[in-house]
Amino acid sequence: MTTATLVHVVVSGLATGCIYALMAISLVIIYNATRTLNFAQGEMLMISAFLAWASYHAFRLPLLVAMLVAVTASAVLALLIERAIIRHSIAATHFDVLIITLGLSLMLRAGAGIVWTHDEFPFPSFFSDRPIPLGPVRIAPGSLGIIGASLGLMAALYLLFTYTRFGRAMRAVAQNQRAARLMGISVERVYSGSWVLASVVGAVAGVLIAPVIFLSSKMGLIVINGFTAAVLGGFGSLPGAVLGGMLLGVLENLAPLYLPTGIKYSVPFLLLIGILMLRPSGLLGRSLQRKV
Amino acid sequence: MRRLALASLGLLLLALPWLVPRYFVFLANLIVVNAIVAIGLNLLSGYTNQLSFGHAGFLAIGAYFAALLTIHAPGVPVPLTILAAGVSTAAVGVALGVPCLRLEGLYLTMATLAFGYVVSEAILNLDWLTRGADGLRVPVAGLGPWRLATDVARYYLVLAVAVLMVLAARNLVSTRTGRAFLAIRESQIAAQAGGIHVAAYKTIAFAVSAFYTGVAGGLFAFVVGYLSPDAFDVFLSVDFVAMIIIGGLGSVPGSIIGAAVITVLHDWLAAFQNYRPLIFGAILIAGMLFMPGGIARALRVSLTRGGGV
Amino acid sequence: MSTWWAVLLASLITLGAVPAAAQQGVTDSEIIVGCSNSFSGPLAFTGEQATRFGVDLYLKYVNDLGGIHGRKVRTVYYDDGYKPQEAVANTKKLVEQDGVFAVIAPQGTAPVVATLDYLEQNRVPLLFPYQGSPVTRAKRFIFSGMTLYDRQSRVMIDYLVGQRRYKKFATVYQDDEYGKTFLTFFEKELARHGLRLVAAESIKRGATDVSAQIAKLQAATPEVTFLVLTPGPAAQALKERQKIGWKDTLMVSTGPLTDERYLALAAEAAEGVEGLSLWPDPLTSDLPGMRQYRALMQKYFPKNEPNRYSLSGYFAAMLFAEAAKRAGRNLTREGLIAALESLKGFESGILPPLTIGPDHETQKQGFWVRVEKGRFKPLTDWLRSE
Repeated sequence: MTTATLVHVVVSGLATGCIYALMAISLVIIYNATRTLNFAQGEMLMISAFLAWASYHAFRLPLLVAMLVAVTASAVLALLIERAIIRHSIAATHFDVLIITLGLSLMLRAGAGIVWTHDEFPFPSFFSDRPIPLGPVRIAPGSLGIIGASLGLMAALYLLFTYTRFGRAMRAVAQNQRAARLMGISVERVYSGSWVLASVVGAVAGVLIAPVIFLSSKMGLIVINGFTAAVLGGFGSLPGAVLGGMLLGVLENLAPLYLPTGIKYSVPFLLLIGILMLRPSGLLGRSLQRKV
Repeated sequence: MRRLALASLGLLLLALPWLVPRYFVFLANLIVVNAIVAIGLNLLSGYTNQLSFGHAGFLAIGAYFAALLTIHAPGVPVPLTILAAGVSTAAVGVALGVPCLRLEGLYLTMATLAFGYVVSEAILNLDWLTRGADGLRVPVAGLGPWRLATDVARYYLVLAVAVLMVLAARNLVSTRTGRAFLAIRESQIAAQAGGIHVAAYKTIAFAVSAFYTGVAGGLFAFVVGYLSPDAFDVFLSVDFVAMIIIGGLGSVPGSIIGAAVITVLHDWLAAFQNYRPLIFGAILIAGMLFMPGGIARALRVSLTRGGGV
Repeated sequence: MSTWWAVLLASLITLGAVPAAAQQGVTDSEIIVGCSNSFSGPLAFTGEQATRFGVDLYLKYVNDLGGIHGRKVRTVYYDDGYKPQEAVANTKKLVEQDGVFAVIAPQGTAPVVATLDYLEQNRVPLLFPYQGSPVTRAKRFIFSGMTLYDRQSRVMIDYLVGQRRYKKFATVYQDDEYGKTFLTFFEKELARHGLRLVAAESIKRGATDVSAQIAKLQAATPEVTFLVLTPGPAAQALKERQKIGWKDTLMVSTGPLTDERYLALAAEAAEGVEGLSLWPDPLTSDLPGMRQYRALMQKYFPKNEPNRYSLSGYFAAMLFAEAAKRAGRNLTREGLIAALESLKGFESGILPPLTIGPDHETQKQGFWVRVEKGRFKPLTDWLRSE
């Protein structure tokens, strides 16, 4: 294995890893605020990507505008879902909401299939396909672009959580809902806001990854990797989500490079179980100190 | 009154093959198999709060074990094969449960999800044993001199096993073990403080849950007659979770109802082709919105007029 | 008390009212056929195309002309999501509830093989399943619907080794039944020529990144690399190859892959890729049967683009209709099978003249193509395997 190949494979893995990280972040954002696991996260991302694609072709929009369409559509979709369905099940247990989001994911996937068929479609990319030679190594602009855009988005999220009022409100609700409410924070607004924010992050991830894995109704299944990444990094921790995502992406690529066919796909999962054995709350997760 | 109801139910179940269209007997077999899995999953997730998204993996282990045993040792009578499938799956359950003792909530769920994938991969790649992607034809089950070659014959086998498993589950729930499970669900720390050996009971829960699912897997192999890795994917695991949540966590009759509802829905909606997941999803959502806590709870509430657990 | 009598009377009347059919699935006015197929799950697109836009397309044409000996043909489809246990349940429903005359164009090795025993026991013809595993060969009640994978492998390797004189082969294959079956047969066929695969890399269904596999294949320096994938991963593999600048290998697609879908996804990365094509070009072929196919598609489903999946369903219905016609007004399952077996040199206007032998295979050929400027250019005539 030449160094050039290794670098290429690792960079490629980091790019996919960034997408996993973004997916993990959106799952964690909703979970932190509402203690719900959103099964439909992937499908919401898929729908917004489809809407972007449809508007791109129908109105001949520039790609950046199409991405804005995706982001807006996802925000609207999230708001609708949160208000119309999730809000009404506040009284229900978390398991009930799990099934509701599961039902949603099925509906969205079937709906996309009915409107656009279950075929796969090419998605336009911001970045060119021609690799950039850097000495012996060839770097794919696509991978770099995804990594760059993802890091940019993560930085923006960091600023949001640290310096804006809304970000602090979200953190407060995540820590202790009752106390936050007592401090005058509208928990309902934070719920809606979290759903919208998570969707927007997902929409960006979708537009970035669609050129690579192609647009189709089953694109949303990438959420499983996002979930794996989030747990790996420590569910609830945003830096953990990023770390988990990157690690998973690189591992998934290194395994086929060095391991025989029989176990290469099991390795990321076995490694996950192994890591959880050593650190039961994930790599960066805080082990819960619970008061009795 | 209750005994009369149970007796008539029993009679109805025994007479089922003559009361329904022929193909429904096959569906009934699937319902009962799923119900056994649901009960097993509920013992783990509903009682001790360890939500598993990997039970399709246990089902697969039980199914392949039973199939391979029957292929390589055809003389073994079916009840023994099923029992062996259950026991071997239980062993795997312990092997998974022990390392996962320190994991909680979503972390445990993730570990079970990973387990499901590993099992799927293993089946696919151990193709010298399982025939991998080509699939495995399961020989007809033999019970002494009889061959269980029709759906009706298999129905009675499946029903008999299910009755045993349901009785065992009800027993378990009302004994010390069941109460320990419930205590662990309410608060692990309090349970530990109260003298309950949490680690032991959590492991027992894993083992029992895996045993039930392994038994169901063995039955599944004979009922369907053909095994392939495609049958045991993560979506099947999700289906099982849906069954216990829709039916009612922590309830044995709830598990049975949930299994029946989901299985029948899948079959009934097959005619809607590509609208099937759309309608199924809508029903799931409506179900949870109008019956929070599951069907069992909704029934209990309406029957006892707001009574508690 | 009287209610019970009423119920009993009603049941007797209902039971008595069921017409005694001469042959299941055939009444005075209609013939019923159908299948369990994927309308959801990984193969939902191909399933829907083959049935609703394929089989149904041709049958609409047949019914519009008055049907077969005065009987219209009606189809019933159920979704199994590629799960074998649901395929079994659906198939039993089709045979016992809907009373189908024959099962036509189901999809996938696992869902189909799961139902084989049942169909054989109940003597229901299984017509043209869309799958390539040889397990369906030479069975009384089954007629295959695709050139089986072992024949495809043989044709491909005989051509590449025999005529093009290649020696170093590798393959990237999907980690499922389709991929592994081809892998096995490639190895077998190469062994016949005294050769071996120098590398074989698998890609999981739904993988997001294929850089490692392509890198390993490049390291093995094969002259020919087989692609045994579905359109998505295949396009990813081709784009990855372009990314790393790996030019000195010939990429070859297997029959099921050689179609316009991966071309659309891979765009210019597909230039120069060759493959075995199982059908004439659905959009441009000038053969009379193809022109009629496109005309009918335009008439009944104008928004649906012609493609090879609907074409295979269309062809399946065409064979069925031809055989049912030949079997005569007194249509029975045995008669249908005999009629199919009697097809010699049948001109479909789509594929070469068709003769069905005792192996009950309806297709045993393909022709070589190369991608030039985004379209498949034929390089050879039909290559057959006997």
